[in-house]
Amino acid sequence: MLLDYDRLGALRWLLGGISLAVALFLLLPILLIVALSFGSSQWLQFPPPGWTLRWYRDLFADPGWLDAVLASLKVASIVTVLSVLLGLLAAFGLVRGRFRGREVLRALFLTPMVLPVVVLAVALYALFLRLHLNGTLAGFVIAHLVIALPFALLSIGNALERFDKAIEDAAVLCGASPWEARLRVTLPGIRLGLFAAAIFSFLASWDEVVLAIFMASPDLQTLPVRVWGALRQDLSPVIAAASALLVAFTAALMLLAALFRRSKEP
Amino acid sequence: MVMARSDTTIPIPTRTRRPMAGFGLVLPGLGLLLLFFVLPVLALLLRSVLEPQPGLGNYAEFFGSTTYLKVFLNTFTVAGLVTAVTLALGFPVAWFLAIAPRRWSALLFGIVVLSMWTNLLARTYAWMVLLQRTGLINRTLINLGIISEPLALTNNLVGVTIGMTYIMLPFMILPLHAAIRTIDPAIFQAAALCGASRGQSLRRVFLPLVAPGMAAGALMVFVMSLGYFVTPSLLGGTSNMMLAELIAQLVQSLLNWGLAGAAALVLLVVTLALYAVQIRWFGFGRTAG
Amino acid sequence: MTPPFLSIRGIRKAYGDAVAVEAVSLDIARGEFVTFLGPSGSGKSTTLYVIAGLLQPSAGDVLLDGRSLLAVPSHRRNIGMVFQRYTLFPHLTVAENVAFPLRVRRRPEAEVQAKVKAMLELVRLEPYRDRLPAKLSGGQQQRVALARALAYDPPVLLMDEPLSALDKTLREEIQVEIRRIHRETGVTILYVTHDQEEALRLSDRIALFNHGRIEQIGSGRDLYDASQTRFAAGFIGNSNFLPGRIAASGAGRAIIVCPDGSRIEGVPLQGLEGGGGEAMLMVRPERMRLERPAPGRAGLPGVVVDRTFLGDTMHYTVRTPWNQELAVRSPLAEAGDADFGFGDAVTVAWDAEQTRLFPGG
Repeated sequence: MLLDYDRLGALRWLLGGISLAVALFLLLPILLIVALSFGSSQWLQFPPPGWTLRWYRDLFADPGWLDAVLASLKVASIVTVLSVLLGLLAAFGLVRGRFRGREVLRALFLTPMVLPVVVLAVALYALFLRLHLNGTLAGFVIAHLVIALPFALLSIGNALERFDKAIEDAAVLCGASPWEARLRVTLPGIRLGLFAAAIFSFLASWDEVVLAIFMASPDLQTLPVRVWGALRQDLSPVIAAASALLVAFTAALMLLAALFRRSKEP
Repeated sequence: MVMARSDTTIPIPTRTRRPMAGFGLVLPGLGLLLLFFVLPVLALLLRSVLEPQPGLGNYAEFFGSTTYLKVFLNTFTVAGLVTAVTLALGFPVAWFLAIAPRRWSALLFGIVVLSMWTNLLARTYAWMVLLQRTGLINRTLINLGIISEPLALTNNLVGVTIGMTYIMLPFMILPLHAAIRTIDPAIFQAAALCGASRGQSLRRVFLPLVAPGMAAGALMVFVMSLGYFVTPSLLGGTSNMMLAELIAQLVQSLLNWGLAGAAALVLLVVTLALYAVQIRWFGFGRTAG
Repeated sequence: MTPPFLSIRGIRKAYGDAVAVEAVSLDIARGEFVTFLGPSGSGKSTTLYVIAGLLQPSAGDVLLDGRSLLAVPSHRRNIGMVFQRYTLFPHLTVAENVAFPLRVRRRPEAEVQAKVKAMLELVRLEPYRDRLPAKLSGGQQQRVALARALAYDPPVLLMDEPLSALDKTLREEIQVEIRRIHRETGVTILYVTHDQEEALRLSDRIALFNHGRIEQIGSGRDLYDASQTRFAAGFIGNSNFLPGRIAASGAGRAIIVCPDGSRIEGVPLQGLEGGGGEAMLMVRPERMRLERPAPGRAGLPGVVVDRTFLGDTMHYTVRTPWNQELAVRSPLAEAGDADFGFGDAVTVAWDAEQTRLFPGG
């Protein structure tokens, strides 16, 4: 009865009420920011006295912000490609390989995802000071790659495990060499996992704050770093505009992923 | 879709049956991890016992000084508080999500997932705006006549807790929801037939079954909260600094690598210990949303 | 004397101490349909995988048209194979699946299209050419797999229990299809199954596997009427095994004494040594008949403990004096003839020539 929606009775209202409250709690702040980004009050009055696109104009006119967006895109794109590639190779090795210590390695590969990022950020900061990689594109990419790779590995590894190897063997018997079989049959077979790996890797880099703070320099900042710096100073609505864009971006990506998954369902 | 499952496995072409088959493929990723994760972190931890002098001086300082100890305790306090609140709020939502009709549950699920994936800074900024002295919450409360002076809701424990709860709720709701879905509703019909009342069913059947999921979710939120940097830094004040921000400050402002390494080690040890507990009790299953 | 088309010579496959296949040798003529029959773990699939190149044998050789296949890697052996599991490429349509081996061989597009059409017509799935495998039933998927395996005109087609995952009626339908395709294409087929009925339906010859070795090779008739080992007799069809002792022998015939003292005379010795040895008699249920006991009547005394009407036959279970239960299958009695009921005392009789004799114990 407790898991039967129709037989819950009064409990239904309690659960529903709390869920509604939590849903509003989760949703309203996001909507508020989007609304405020169009509001004309500099002090973020709500309801805003008027509506304007001024903050967006300021955002796009400021070369600092634009550079930050471009930097974020650049880093995230490179990280995505490398993460999926390395993740694909490692997934094949971990799923199909036969060597000792496979389980240990698998756990090791997932560790960057579970340990506090600040520790990694500070450690890499120290290392890059020595290597003069701070404030460089390479430094950014390496740092983000370390935390994006576990996501790629999980997605691709799961897809590869679910893919019946017998299909690949059948391709070999049809006359394809082992690598040709992997390319023409297995890769298309796991393309959902590859796609998921790409999206997760991209978002991991795009949204990443802590590593970016330590990797950044006045000349090279990703968007989150810029927002972080601005937040330490004041709460200008320009940040609201930037945040609203970030929200829109995420929502678009999620929609894309959902549509893609819907179309591939048998 | 029709799938055939059989006990006969089709053997791997013997060409690839070398003792270390496949290891080469793992090497690039492994190299990256070793060079840019394992080694740098180990180097940092090493500095904690080497700088400024070899020895455990940094640890003595860390645990001896009231300031640092306060940070340490505060971190645990916040993490515990956040875990408790998210559990209290998240459990009913997860329960509802597991049984509600498709329309409502899909909508709720979408909101939770959207919240989880929305940029962290955007979400924290939202609460900075809401909680500031001239922010919406204070303004509304004053207009309603509930208070006459604005409440200090940011740069303190309240702000941090609200903000962190906001961030962590999806991480509690989604795994809990998955755990509840694995319970067969027929069990409660059986319990009722055995004569159990609602309350007894709840206490003796539902809660024990869902306890592992709750513990797993709580552990995950607690561990994440311990090491969190962004939200506590923005919504907390200097008086309730958490470990992550301490480490960052030690490095950026004070250039005290030894102490930073010590604080990092403490954070790592606690994190790993809690994960070990989770694995011991609940196995490797990751109930990721 | 022309060398046999496909020659399997002394194949042995061992995994450390465990021997999966031992001394398996077999010559197969072009266009033959040979079944590897046997229980699970008897080595029949292992042998098939060795021929396919998916396993390397520990010893022995496989020759096709006189040339050894062992040095040739799997993807160059040009052998067709259909597995028990569905192995169609999920991201390609039916037509593209069948075209795959031809594209891999870089055949010109016109040839590919023509061949795909011909193959799909052969398995009668032309209307489905643009479907994805997920939209096909199990039987349809296996037919496409068959078309794909035959697309490049392989000299040999291997099939590893391809129908075991399907239900009975579907299985029988596709068995008929396979026989038809075999007739139309003339391809040499090696078929693995544990279902003796399937083996009898499909093959020209059957190789009976047991514990990694071939116990007997022959047509279905050979294996049924002239089983060479106890295992073979027991695996194919139904059988009654009676323990006995060879009391006397002469001129290739023996007198067997059963545990209750009944004597069976005129049993062909079939190569066993006469004189006092333990033996096992095997008689098929349909060769036995029940008669009303009468003095001087030859046969085994028994009591009917069960009977089942099976439509075209009557199946009796008869208990012998030494408490063994025999299965007797009789054609339905003509109207008016005596029928036997529960508890009736009977004499079980059969033509002694129809007895197979195996070493006892």
